[in-house]
Amino acid sequence: MSDDLFDKSEFVSYFRDEAEELLQQIDADLLQLEDLVGSEHLDSELVNSLFRALHTIKGSSGMLQFTGVQNLAHKLENLCDLLRKERMPLSEGCVDILFGGRDFLTDLVDSAINGKDAPNGLNDYIGRLESFVAVYEETSNVIEGTASEISFEAAAAAESEEQAGAGDVAAFEADIWRMVEAARAESGTSAPAPKPPELKAEEPARAQAAQPAAQTPAKQKQKTSAHQTIRVDIERLDLLLNLVGELVINRTRISDIAGTLERALTDKNGAVAALNGHAKDLVPLAKELADSSALLARTTNEIQESIMKVRMVPIGQVFDRFPRLVRDVAKARGKEVQLQISGAETDLDKTIVDEVGEPLMHLLRNCVDHGIETPEDREKRGKPRHGTISLNAYHEGNQIIIEVSDDGHGIDLEKVRARGIKQGLIGSDDRLSDREIIELIFTPGFSTAEVISDVSGRGVGMDVVKKNITRLKGVFDVNTAPGAGTTFTIKLPLTLAIIQALLVRVVDELYAIPLDSVIESQRVEMEDVRTVHGNEVITLRGQVVPLLRVADFFELGGKRDPDKVMIVIVGLQGRQVGLVVDSFQGEQEIVIKPLSDVVGRIPGISGATILGNGSISLIIDVHSLVSEAYASGRVARAEFSGV
Amino acid sequence: MSKRVLIVDDAVVMRMMIKGILSKNGFDVVGEAQNGVEAVEKYKALNPDLVTMDMVMPEMDGISAVRQIISHDANAKIIMCTSMGQQALVVEAIQAGAKSFITKPFQPPKILETINKVLT
Repeated sequence: MSDDLFDKSEFVSYFRDEAEELLQQIDADLLQLEDLVGSEHLDSELVNSLFRALHTIKGSSGMLQFTGVQNLAHKLENLCDLLRKERMPLSEGCVDILFGGRDFLTDLVDSAINGKDAPNGLNDYIGRLESFVAVYEETSNVIEGTASEISFEAAAAAESEEQAGAGDVAAFEADIWRMVEAARAESGTSAPAPKPPELKAEEPARAQAAQPAAQTPAKQKQKTSAHQTIRVDIERLDLLLNLVGELVINRTRISDIAGTLERALTDKNGAVAALNGHAKDLVPLAKELADSSALLARTTNEIQESIMKVRMVPIGQVFDRFPRLVRDVAKARGKEVQLQISGAETDLDKTIVDEVGEPLMHLLRNCVDHGIETPEDREKRGKPRHGTISLNAYHEGNQIIIEVSDDGHGIDLEKVRARGIKQGLIGSDDRLSDREIIELIFTPGFSTAEVISDVSGRGVGMDVVKKNITRLKGVFDVNTAPGAGTTFTIKLPLTLAIIQALLVRVVDELYAIPLDSVIESQRVEMEDVRTVHGNEVITLRGQVVPLLRVADFFELGGKRDPDKVMIVIVGLQGRQVGLVVDSFQGEQEIVIKPLSDVVGRIPGISGATILGNGSISLIIDVHSLVSEAYASGRVARAEFSGV
Repeated sequence: MSKRVLIVDDAVVMRMMIKGILSKNGFDVVGEAQNGVEAVEKYKALNPDLVTMDMVMPEMDGISAVRQIISHDANAKIIMCTSMGQQALVVEAIQAGAKSFITKPFQPPKILETINKVLT
């Protein structure tokens, strides 16, 4: 392939996306096919769909000269061909071989794109695949070895060699023209070449189309109204979103200027101030500026919303691979598990969709591994043999909620507590609430093995799950009922780029607190603030809320108001903490800018934003601020402080 | 006037590649379809000078699409895109009215040669 005619690198990303989709589809098809093992009826459309997906992967990888992928896809396609021609029965072994092939294809695609070595065990697998297929291919030759079928096998065999050489292609092409000629010579006397079974489903369509082509309808030009989609690189959307972010900042700034100008031109009663000379001309101009800045604000909001929508993809993209995962883990652990998925069509930002797959995978694995009991245990407890895990997604306000729940035996709090004491995470006389005990599971180094399940092979790091969710500005919650099951709830923002924030002033700095973690803001008299073990707390509606002085945390110094404190109550996994600030500066939509690497990670700060007046405000990372404060003992552990 | 081409293939990579090769060589790719049904619709709407048609596609396969297009326009110029091992199907497509075929993986010069032959 001469390079001046095309550069294949530009197609590789398309290939990757397409292959990913097709492999997902193959997985879904295989799961359905597995259910048909042993049944009389073979769903031909299912096998055809599998065949087509493999065929497409073969074709595309061939164009890109990814011969490893091409060869394996070809071999698997052959196997499916035998299945759909009913020359091979659908057996469990066959489905396992196909599942295995699907996994190797995934690895091969990855190694082809990233220029890595072929995956381990590939040759062994191909050996198994070939000997599995060979049995049926031989018999098929004997049974119906018509001339064209034999050449089919021969050509297929030739192709499965390293790469089809030019000579083979030429022979193949010559073969076709010869067959066309032969068919032409005997036209009318007998039916044309035998119809392969693949086309059976198309019979009605063909009958209709088979009428003579005599009537040539008037050719008209019509506009197609077909639904059209294009693929866009996510980076371009990121860039666009970034630009819109700047636009939002400037829009706010122009509104500010318009407001300031209007105030400058009117006195405090709202009347136009006494102006002389040219200054009078400014009044209508200020009005115009205010009008067009309002219009600008509207348009900017619409652009922002549209881009957000463009970036939204259904979470089903991630869910699709889970049935397979649950099947595999359940099989390996000797459990029977059914996965119920709902809300796959729920939209959220592409970047979040990409990131949320990993933690969800860990959770599901964990549910099968530790949550669901063995079929025998379940029967003893009077539950159905097969456990049920449900995966559910839905929108709630500006958030998406993902729930993973199982009907297993729940988390044994006593065992977790005992383990926590043994690992030195808590003291043996610490009085912990149930919630705090559950929190232990998310402590790095806390081994879930032996604790929640006796069957466990390896402990899946729940701390990693939680860290990933927190990084996405998500909130993670666990509810467990002994003997009845566990529900993990993940709340994620729909997007990460723009948030509503409460602006507060602390000493001379402006800080932005994400509104989704703010419960309320309050002014509290100093006399209502009590001190417990050296830490300040207040009692709010009967609940003790520890206080955290932001100025102290960031070591800003400044003077304390002796009479009162301004408090922003933030909620964190069911706990509440009051952040003490100097004053509230109102709510605002802010565009998050990550801090540069030069600054590095600062505990308690998640990023920065530029405000309408051009000044910079740091965004408080409520989660890390509070955990840090807890860890360093700067906040009272209210729940068990006995107040 | 450059010739107007409709590309039919369920694989994005294939469509992109064929499109790339043809666009660089003075053809005007006026439409793309991902299955037989779309191919027939788009043929009727766009009335292209040439169609490249994949054989294996969901919804409606290439041969059925050839039949429907030919019954709509007996002079339609359709080139099949085929893989090795599909002799019987290619023959059937040609009997249904396809003018020629190209074998995957394509060699750009070969595609151009076949297309030019069909168009003259």
